[in-house]
Amino acid sequence: MRRSPAPRALTVGLAGATAGLLVLTACSGGGEAVDLDGGASGAAGGGEATGPVLRAAIAGEPDQLDPQSTSSYFSFEVLENVFDTLVEPDENLEMQPALAESWETSEDGLTWTFTLREGVTFHDGSEFTAEDVVYSYDRIVDEELSNAWKFGSVTDVVATDDSTVTITVSAPTPNLLSSLGGFKGLAIVEQANVESGDITTKPVGTGPFELTDYTPGDSIDLVANPDYWGGAPEIGGIHYTFVSEGSTAIAALQNDEIDWTDSIPAQQLESLEGAEGVEVGVTPSNDYWYLALNEAKEPWGTVEARQAIAYAIDRESILQAVSYGTAQENQLAIPEDSVWYTDYSTYSYDEARARDLLAQAGVTGPVTMDFLATSDYPETVTAAQIIASNLEPLGITVNIRTVDFATWLDEQNSGNFDLLMMGWLGNIDPDDFYYSQHHSQGGSNAQGYANPEVDRLLDAARTETDEAARKDLYAQAATTIADEASYIYLYNPSVIQAWSTDLEGYTARSDRAIRFRDVTLAQR
Amino acid sequence: MTQLTPGSPLPEDAVPGQPGGPSGVATAARPDEGPAARPAAGWRLLLDSPVNVVSAVVLLVVLVVALLGPALAPYAVNAVDVPAALQPPSGAHWFGTDDLGRDVLSRTLVATRVSLQVAVVAVAFALVVGVGAGIVSGYAGGWLDTVLMRLVDVMFAFPVMLLALAIVAVLGPGLTTTQLAIGIVYTPIFARVARASALSVRVEPFVQVSRTMGTGHALILRRHILPGIAGPVIVQTSLSVAFAILSEAALSFLGLGVQPPRPSWGRMLFDAQGFLSQAWWMAVFPGLAIFVTVLAFNLLGDGLRDVLDPRQRSLLRTRRLLRAHRRAGVRP
Repeated sequence: MRRSPAPRALTVGLAGATAGLLVLTACSGGGEAVDLDGGASGAAGGGEATGPVLRAAIAGEPDQLDPQSTSSYFSFEVLENVFDTLVEPDENLEMQPALAESWETSEDGLTWTFTLREGVTFHDGSEFTAEDVVYSYDRIVDEELSNAWKFGSVTDVVATDDSTVTITVSAPTPNLLSSLGGFKGLAIVEQANVESGDITTKPVGTGPFELTDYTPGDSIDLVANPDYWGGAPEIGGIHYTFVSEGSTAIAALQNDEIDWTDSIPAQQLESLEGAEGVEVGVTPSNDYWYLALNEAKEPWGTVEARQAIAYAIDRESILQAVSYGTAQENQLAIPEDSVWYTDYSTYSYDEARARDLLAQAGVTGPVTMDFLATSDYPETVTAAQIIASNLEPLGITVNIRTVDFATWLDEQNSGNFDLLMMGWLGNIDPDDFYYSQHHSQGGSNAQGYANPEVDRLLDAARTETDEAARKDLYAQAATTIADEASYIYLYNPSVIQAWSTDLEGYTARSDRAIRFRDVTLAQR
Repeated sequence: MTQLTPGSPLPEDAVPGQPGGPSGVATAARPDEGPAARPAAGWRLLLDSPVNVVSAVVLLVVLVVALLGPALAPYAVNAVDVPAALQPPSGAHWFGTDDLGRDVLSRTLVATRVSLQVAVVAVAFALVVGVGAGIVSGYAGGWLDTVLMRLVDVMFAFPVMLLALAIVAVLGPGLTTTQLAIGIVYTPIFARVARASALSVRVEPFVQVSRTMGTGHALILRRHILPGIAGPVIVQTSLSVAFAILSEAALSFLGLGVQPPRPSWGRMLFDAQGFLSQAWWMAVFPGLAIFVTVLAFNLLGDGLRDVLDPRQRSLLRTRRLLRAHRRAGVRP
């Protein structure tokens, strides 16, 4: 589960619990490098690589290349192709074997045994064994890296033999697989690579591509791994450049200077559609954006006051202004395509209703509201202005405070806000969507929501192994959460990417994983 | 335009080249007769140049817009109307609409007050603090001078924007912070200008005489030093307001100045940057407003310098005389 957002930037980890998250924003402008001509030729340094090199322009530069430490989406756009996890999500976000060939769960659900794939080697030639898995997981937990919380129920990770790993949990954990394989933040790393410190600039993985060169401020080059366990990729390698300016990336794509990019502002999508030689991928994502009212501040501790805001906002305008129609409205977190989806549409734009509810909440005089927005996610500033305009007739003056994301996190965690807007992304299991945000003990419950019934439902769902029963528990919890406006859910944005028609076999995935291992590229 | 007519070839005060060094000093030396006669002369010299007149008229219009902004605006400035977003200029919206469907004309008009207010408050701050420090420094001399001027040197060493950014970073973005940040950044220049003038006035015989006669420091500062430095400070003020408007625009463009939804010209440019290819009007009109206002302040500042600088002033006077002669048919 990763905090926040937007196609071009994201951080990983629990915003509530993690201090000092490093965030790269797409709009920072600085350090952008466009090497659009020379790139392709120089990229493939390895002797074996024969296929053409894919030129990909990502919207920003990675902060570092250690998958377990970074919280930047830009890093994962590269590392997705360099590292492997034990299991990994397929296109429907169901967990499939990766480094683990198979696994079984004990009767009581407390012991998981993973059988590892044999004959897998790291890019430096060393063999992949069960010890690497133990080392990787221990490192995340011992160093309290940003994904340590995913091991909350894990009591022990043991290498039974070279190709078997046994994980013991304290209570049945039906979502263990998505915790371990949801994204490359749980990648299996090599101990020598970590200990030498090289992992931040020259990571060594087991994945389909080997990282050969990282020129800070300029580019990253990957070369196909001929020994990849899933079969050698057809393309010879990948040349990544960092292009934060959407218009630049779009022009480069149309001029055949790059083959793929995700640096596309929603408002410029129109200019790409129907363009010759360009394919556009717009896929509903598993991310969601929401509003949260600080329940420690009056009158927002009152349910009616929060509901009043939920009725007072014009969702349609917000959706249009932030996504130009690419996002999908949703009054709960989980998107329609997910198997965990629950139908819910209680709220509508209704000023009279909002007025009634405010009166019921005992709000009589004018109210001033501090809206915490962040310039790193411009959608928060855009929506804030619409919401300010929506709430004005109700006698609520919205003061928009725009800060950088690091400050934003501090302010959120110290409860210094009335209203905020943020997004979560990378969610797969419903536990990712609801537990830490709405359980009274949740690590990201900055709004201070506490409902014993919701706690009970979320606790029960965590250990419920029957899928139908589990889905039902989450549906109940989610409905109560939205009814009581712990979060006011807004929408699920889309993943927006574009690529050359020369590139085949690529699909824009709803979890934003950028996988190039199965693509083919016409020879230039 | 106050062109001389043949009927009045020589205004009584248009005698070039007052003897006795810098005109400002002369004014200070004769406070009784100076203020009445001189400004009129300077005024007329200033308005002699069409560039100055146009600049003054532009600034007057800008000032009126700043004062009446919200009353002139055809639409509520923050009224969001997303279905009407990104409309090109039309009869209903002369300057088009922005990404939230707000009227760009209304926002540009209302932003005038914000932009001007930030610039004027900031420069007023810089003026008061800077001139105060400069005068004291120049007049007192000694260790106080050394300390104050080294402080000014330190501030000068910082690039203007970097210092402003640092101040905003510490205090958090907002209107008040922006004013303060720009004010602090422009303080050293006023301190230098005031000190340099104060230094030269301090050693003038009339100041020495005044001192010998037992006049208090405060009175000397007010009576002699302050009028003596007025010229350069006025010029600096006009130029600084121009730069302050630009600084505000730059800070707001970086998202650190005036906070949304309140419009300022810089903030409007910030909002426009994602839409340059689809909605040129979002950037062009606030950009034009900045351009015109800053240019007017700069040109007027140049004009003021010409008039207030004694050497330039006598040149202007000579030119004016020549012109008057030519009109009167007199060969010089």
